[in-house]
Amino acid sequence: MIKRVEINYRGIFQKNLAKKIGGDIVLIATRMGQVGFSNGRYSDSPERNGIPCKYFAFVSPDLSEEELEAECGAKLDIDEANISVVLDDTMVKGVEPWAWHGIRPINEKVTEGGCLLVVSRRSHGELLKFIAKKPYNYNLAILEGDASFAGLWVYKDDLTRERVLGAIAAVDPELISIEAVEQYLWDTTQQEHRVLAAREAYEQVRQRIKTVTPDQGIEWSYQVPTLPKWYEFSEGVVVPAVKREFRLGPGGQARNTQLKRFTSRTQRPVIRFDLCIKCTLCWYDCPDECFDPTEDGYYDVNYEYCVGCGRCAQVCPVKECIVMVDELRFEDNSSPYEFWKRDPEGYIRWAEEKKGTERVVYPFVTGTGVQVLEGERVPEGKKIMLKKKEALPS
Amino acid sequence: MTTRAEASVWEREELLTGCQAVAHGVRLADVDVIAAYPIRPYTEVMDAISKIIADGELDAEYIVAASEHDQFEIVKHASSVGARAFAGSSGTGWMYGFEALVVTATDRLPVLFLVGNRALDDPGAFGVEHNDALAVRDMGWLLCWVTTPQEALEHVLIGYRVAEDKRVMMPMALAMDGAFLTHSQHVVRIPTKEAVRRFLPPYDLGERRLHPDNPISIAPQVNEDWVMEIRRQNWEAARRARQVIVEAYREFNAIFGDVYSPPYYFEEFMTEDAEVVLIGLGTVARPGRTAVRRLREKGQKVGYINLRWFRPFPTVELRESLRRFRAVGVIDRDFAHGSPDDGGALLHEVRSCLYPARERPVVVNFISGLGGRDISIADCIKMFEITQEAARKDSLDGFVTWVGLRE
Repeated sequence: MIKRVEINYRGIFQKNLAKKIGGDIVLIATRMGQVGFSNGRYSDSPERNGIPCKYFAFVSPDLSEEELEAECGAKLDIDEANISVVLDDTMVKGVEPWAWHGIRPINEKVTEGGCLLVVSRRSHGELLKFIAKKPYNYNLAILEGDASFAGLWVYKDDLTRERVLGAIAAVDPELISIEAVEQYLWDTTQQEHRVLAAREAYEQVRQRIKTVTPDQGIEWSYQVPTLPKWYEFSEGVVVPAVKREFRLGPGGQARNTQLKRFTSRTQRPVIRFDLCIKCTLCWYDCPDECFDPTEDGYYDVNYEYCVGCGRCAQVCPVKECIVMVDELRFEDNSSPYEFWKRDPEGYIRWAEEKKGTERVVYPFVTGTGVQVLEGERVPEGKKIMLKKKEALPS
Repeated sequence: MTTRAEASVWEREELLTGCQAVAHGVRLADVDVIAAYPIRPYTEVMDAISKIIADGELDAEYIVAASEHDQFEIVKHASSVGARAFAGSSGTGWMYGFEALVVTATDRLPVLFLVGNRALDDPGAFGVEHNDALAVRDMGWLLCWVTTPQEALEHVLIGYRVAEDKRVMMPMALAMDGAFLTHSQHVVRIPTKEAVRRFLPPYDLGERRLHPDNPISIAPQVNEDWVMEIRRQNWEAARRARQVIVEAYREFNAIFGDVYSPPYYFEEFMTEDAEVVLIGLGTVARPGRTAVRRLREKGQKVGYINLRWFRPFPTVELRESLRRFRAVGVIDRDFAHGSPDDGGALLHEVRSCLYPARERPVVVNFISGLGGRDISIADCIKMFEITQEAARKDSLDGFVTWVGLRE
């Protein structure tokens, strides 16, 4: 028997976290008399901010390490997962890694009776609004918490690691039992708060595992790319480039339809066009050229390509004009500019409702969890200029 | 497969990737000079060594070079003044430093290099392919593949012991499959420093050590009046290395338990009564041996040979072994463009080694796993089927098969 665990994480921000959890699973399972090993999906490029990546842990109570490796370790991706851990809940919208995979459902690999374990503050129903249907029953477990994001090569010690281990023990005690998790954390750190964090998560998640039936979830609309046979593509490693095109208006710039990249996004910029002073900075500074100039001098944002880096919100000189908002509050990637043109008042109402009053900041390097600041609802057309110091988060 | 000594020769167990295991080998070998320059998948080795040094567990000069060429020159020179030296690279980085790699062999400096196997760009791909390490095969190098992090750690020690032996004095390339070994975390047993000291004597260049008190000149310009004799010396060292390798494994077993079994250069699995075997380099041994178990359950007489040492090539031992079988399937995770029968590098070595045998098995070839494409258990079973078919037909038609290609 083989137990396969995949850990979906966001490139660079959670790389160390995912690797540590994968290693912990192996060491704890080994203490329980099983064999295991752990690796990452090698075709990933986890140095890219936010890009969905995977780490794996494979455990068996009866196979030799070599047989386990032959079954799992000689593969570049996992065949199926008994547990798919999701370290940032915005990945439930789909994951598109760096290589030619297309946008895949977050539960793609979950087996029948297996479990999707999501770190989230949302309910089962809210998450299932984005998750693809499966032809069989599986479980959805929720570990309450924020996405733990750290900077390049930094591991943020905010107990997410310990809590995820406790949650996995709740989902499958035969893989790793909570007693083994607690003993391991105590033996390796001698710190009781780590043991307690795992236990608390274990107790909580045991109450929050629900069966998902084949009628729950959405129809998945994204196709898996078909790769050409060896004689079907150009010799000399030549790939046709995107043909240059430009016209004013939404979607007016030619972009690569093969790699849209929006699944790298945790937050998206919400734009109050009525406050825009047409300064061009969002368009100019966007590292991914996601802003389309319009005939009347505004800048529409193309949410299919926006990776949510937040640069536009940083450089925008007008108070509350561009604000980064949790990605899970949005259903689709349609043009906000077109919405505004169609129904200006309705758009502003919608934008303010999505923004809410809290402004969430991820302290990447230090601190725990997320930082929540107070936002403000600016009346229509009231353009308040920010001093540059205020515009850029300290 | 192996029995490891229980006693105090093992210090602790840790979860390590192949790269980290090599770094611990470097720590235990008490290496003096390390030159580093990043390229995936080797990069994690330099990361892990720098952490070991920062943690105070190794006292060494750690130099981040400006390129692979500098990197390899630095360790070559360090080795010539009597420092035990280590470097490593992958793919095109390894190729970029090639001029330095060639002279390290000619100058007979026993530096150990880790090659994290990577496809040669273009296209930019970081998956495993063996052509990078194989490039030193004709240059006077020792070249060896390992299949687990445990073996990787141990072969850093075995590698230095063989390379630095007075009878050998050759650079050593320790090759390891990118991803499947370099980046896979396993529980590894780490030996004690004391036990390693017993196995690996200090590096001693003797009279060849470059030092103001020992005035010598290394590798002056020579022409047609010297080169053939120099090559002949190098060859003699490679010939002597065959015996030194065997001695090193025997000594390793004496200290660390019955870890490796004869003939050491390669490892046979379920070959006693086998009619058909596959032979390959590196981690393909895992699906290969698992395929053997599956087919044995169905009563098929198959086996697997994991070739560790490519240089020196174990000609006599392998010939004696392979001639017992009806057919041999050679797995190449490389491709030798335009070579005889359009096969892989290992095919040519195996076939050439078998030629003098009076009774030879049918030899077929598989090109597979290029650029990091996975080789599954099912792929290996398919290879066995083709090899069995070749044994039945006793035929050589179309005997090179690409396995795992989109066609």
